[in-house]
Amino acid sequence: MTGVAEALRAYLPGLALLAGGALAATLVAGAVPGVQPLVVAVAIGVGVGNAVGIPEIAEPGVGVDKLFLETGIVLLGAAVAVEEYLAAGPTVLGLVVAFVAGGLLFAEVVARGLFRIGSPTSSLLAAGASVCGVSAVVAIGRVLDARGAAITFAAATVLLFDAVTLVAFPLAGEWLGLTGRQFGVWAGVSMFSTGPVAAAGFAHSPEAGQWATVTKLARNSLLGGVAVAYSLAYTARSAAEPGVRRLWAEFPKFLLGFLIVATVANSGLLSPAALASIGRVSDALFALAFVGLGLSIRVDDMRAVGAAPVGAVLVHLLVVSAVALAAVRWFL
Amino acid sequence: MVSNGDEGAGADGSTVDDGIVDRWTALDRGWQALALGLGIVAAHLVGQAL
Repeated sequence: MTGVAEALRAYLPGLALLAGGALAATLVAGAVPGVQPLVVAVAIGVGVGNAVGIPEIAEPGVGVDKLFLETGIVLLGAAVAVEEYLAAGPTVLGLVVAFVAGGLLFAEVVARGLFRIGSPTSSLLAAGASVCGVSAVVAIGRVLDARGAAITFAAATVLLFDAVTLVAFPLAGEWLGLTGRQFGVWAGVSMFSTGPVAAAGFAHSPEAGQWATVTKLARNSLLGGVAVAYSLAYTARSAAEPGVRRLWAEFPKFLLGFLIVATVANSGLLSPAALASIGRVSDALFALAFVGLGLSIRVDDMRAVGAAPVGAVLVHLLVVSAVALAAVRWFL
Repeated sequence: MVSNGDEGAGADGSTVDDGIVDRWTALDRGWQALALGLGIVAAHLVGQAL
């Protein structure tokens, strides 16, 4: 057996699990009117993950879910109307920068002042809540040389809120009567990790899914800048590392792919049939990724999260999402 | 899966394959997603040109 085939073989059981979940989600959504397949995909993942768990043999394949999510986002570039996004771009970018910077400062003040959480845990929570969830916790943890336990603690807190907001935001968006664009940008600046933001957006509507993903990508692209700011603020070990290298190391490279695909799609090079086909591939990749997202949500793990970080992140989330709601209603 | 300089190229080309696998797994996930996404778009461009 050749090396490629041998390497792929280890991933097959997990990929089969993701594909089975995605297929079941598509069938259920087809049978129940008004139900989004991507929401069912997350629900199936949560159900299987908590009732049965992930068999050890399936773990390598299930771990590919984030690659599917990021590839799905790259292909989502084919679905966006660049003119529309350029028109709203400065407003959305302004909101993203304001909410990341303001959210970081606010989270640090709340965690340290109100809940007496010391550094670097306060900074890990602030980065996770303000920039891009668990990946920000890990990146800033690396910059600040945080202990593994602090990173695990902060990541578990973020994951708890990812699970709660994944359900709460689409319900709130429906109740508040937000448009697809308003809801997408609201979720994009308020929620934490990329997967749940995209899932919540698509749970509202395809338009909201696109806006949520694009807004979240803009937020993710600030992670490098936040990492440099933290390394300077703490004068930690990475202070010796050049800032530009850190900026590039933390930059989400798939964002470049999204921009290239959006440019190609909007240049008219792709036929309507090709665009539709790419859209179907993107949807399929999202379905696989969202089954994996559901599988990663473990109720047992969340019981171990402490009251203080939950309190700090809850205050942050409520305040930021309330201000963001007012902002999207005002500006969009 | 790790390539070894002492291995000769097998009749099935496994050393070349191992090199491809190693290079792919060494890539940052963002680059992998970018490559896959652009590959899929390129396949569509080629498909519509044929």
